[in-house]
Amino acid sequence: MMTAGALLRAMQRIRAFEEALAGRPDHGFQLFSMGQEAVAVGVAAALGADDQLLTSGRSIAAALARGVDAGAIMAELLGKEAGTNRGRGGRGHLAQPAAGFFGAHAVVGGNLTIAAGVALALATRGRGIAACMFGDGACGAGALHETLNVAAVWRLPLLLVCDNNGYSISTPQAMALAPQPLAALAQPFRIPAVTVDGMDVEAVREAAVALAARIRNGEGPAFLECRSARFATHSTSTRETRAADELAADRARDPIVAQARRMQARGELDAARLAAWDEEARVAAVAALAFADAAAYPASGSVLEDVQ
Amino acid sequence: MLYQLAVPGPIDDVEELRVLEWHVAPGQSFAAGDLVVELETHKAVVEVRAARAGILRSVLAPAGDWQRLGRPLAIVGDDSDEPLPAQADDLAAMLVEFEVT
Amino acid sequence: MSGSAAATRVYFREAIARALSEEMARDPALVLFGQDIGRFGGAYREFTGLFERYGAQRVRDTPVAEAAMIGVGVGAAAAGLRALVSITYMDFLMLGLDPLVNYAAKARYKTGGQLRVPLVVKATAGARGQGVAHSQCIEAWLMSVPGLVVVAPATAADAYGLLKSALRHDGPVLFVDHKRLYPTAGELPAEETLVPFGRARIARGGSDVTIAAHAYTVRVALAAAEELAREGVDCEVIDLRSLAPLDVDTLVMSVARTGALVTVEEGQATCGVGVEVAARVREARDGEPFRVARVAALPAPVSSNPVLEAACLPDAARVGAAVRALLS
Repeated sequence: MMTAGALLRAMQRIRAFEEALAGRPDHGFQLFSMGQEAVAVGVAAALGADDQLLTSGRSIAAALARGVDAGAIMAELLGKEAGTNRGRGGRGHLAQPAAGFFGAHAVVGGNLTIAAGVALALATRGRGIAACMFGDGACGAGALHETLNVAAVWRLPLLLVCDNNGYSISTPQAMALAPQPLAALAQPFRIPAVTVDGMDVEAVREAAVALAARIRNGEGPAFLECRSARFATHSTSTRETRAADELAADRARDPIVAQARRMQARGELDAARLAAWDEEARVAAVAALAFADAAAYPASGSVLEDVQ
Repeated sequence: MLYQLAVPGPIDDVEELRVLEWHVAPGQSFAAGDLVVELETHKAVVEVRAARAGILRSVLAPAGDWQRLGRPLAIVGDDSDEPLPAQADDLAAMLVEFEVT
Repeated sequence: MSGSAAATRVYFREAIARALSEEMARDPALVLFGQDIGRFGGAYREFTGLFERYGAQRVRDTPVAEAAMIGVGVGAAAAGLRALVSITYMDFLMLGLDPLVNYAAKARYKTGGQLRVPLVVKATAGARGQGVAHSQCIEAWLMSVPGLVVVAPATAADAYGLLKSALRHDGPVLFVDHKRLYPTAGELPAEETLVPFGRARIARGGSDVTIAAHAYTVRVALAAAEELAREGVDCEVIDLRSLAPLDVDTLVMSVARTGALVTVEEGQATCGVGVEVAARVREARDGEPFRVARVAALPAPVSSNPVLEAACLPDAARVGAAVRALLS
């Protein structure tokens, strides 16, 4: 099991990575996870080498949390041949199945049924579970209903993780989704569901580990709703529509600060070590960026490769 | 008198079908209403029953063979002595009842 | 009427069932998904015997949920299995286009070759009295999706051979089985014969006009050709079999001899298969003139009303009229 410190450092690495990337508007927009690191890190902490993680387009945190090489992710996001997907996927499509990160898919709700299929393949193989992270925006999509149903009927080893940041771009949840809480969506399918504070990495980890254990035990799928907050705009090219005081209140719940404070309160962390971890994360992000910058773009003549 | 037992029709969508099983052997007699042969379409079984008594003289299309609608499957007769013709095409068709299930 | 010693005569559905059974025996990773394909054996009995032989884990009855059926098939295939998803009516393929088009067809490319999706979507197309949402032929929509193979057999042998090729392909394939072909029978070669993608079949040789058709319309074209032969018009009928990739060479060689091309399809003429066929032949003919006409469904929904259905669909009379008009 990951220690409290390991959870914190994983979140710090994600934050530093995205901050480094945020200064680079040269490859179109990006979909940042800032504020939602605890969900990705807490869920990844419940997964092992035989498991596969699938995500929505908002996937940087999940890919890093799953252990995909930061340089390869950065190269992918900047469109380089050395990227995880040879620069072909870009934002929203990061993937490295060999590392247990089956990948992101940028169609909202589009990875849900795929994840059920991955779970079926893993069940057939006889080991591993699939986890699929999706935003609350996907909860209005029919694909979730179909996935919940087929996963329940076939008792698939599937952990559905709703990373609920409250907004579909600019549309507040109250205007788009009737069910409350979103975890209630699982109940008609008799799928166990839990709602946790998605800004609390240990709470996410604990819930994810418990649900994953049930799934591994052959009890079928589970649903985890994590209430999170997105610190940045939907994408780097989207206008901010939220009020300043709402954003300030969200930022006051920063999962990295919260975990650091908790560890300090427990006497597990001092200021010097926290600063050192911050610096390590920053250095790693700079190195990832340097690796990506040094890498080449795909040759235009390779555009027809790997189509069929 | 000799008759031909032909593939009955019309049957929806069917141009040709396959002989599934003969329920009367050559030389055997049958009564009106007896199941003589089962045929198989792409999705159904066609039970062919005799509308009158007779003797099955010669099977032209054994089980597994294909035949088109209206074409002969066998030669039947009123008695077992009448010499068989080389082919059945010129014989009158024996009346049958058939059911597609 | 019995087949020659070298071949077996089978119904169209039996060619499909045999291909599935042989490939399931050959590849234990192959799993089938569909509505009523288990004990029921499929809407056209084309899955007969498979559930009994391979069991519920590999022959899976699904909920009525095409997006999940295709999505699960795609995910399972991408994660190491091989999947066939049966869509009972091609009209319902629309409900599952997202996982097929946005995921399966792009997975290999977008992951830089890390993922492959060995998936076959079998979609039963065509009109047979079932109405506006159970009759469509939308294969032309899918011909333009990079990464997707589209095949549409007209005979039992091609159904068998193309399905086997599809089930061994490491990318997604749309396999179109036209429902009016199910009552038909054909010869299957005694030896296993795979039909490669991108290879058309000359269903009838001729010298006056090239008729390009696929699936059930091959039979329509052949019927028209027989009628036209009595008038002294010698038609060459090309069964496209594979729509993407398209066998342009065979078409071009034929049109080079006949100088006239008539395309026949049960889908719509606008942006249809015939448009692509004509354009590809035109490009390859490099300005050499040839006459061209398209025969397709009329631009109306296909009604379950028998009078209106027949009025909408291409038949031998319309193909004959198009050929006569083109050659006059």
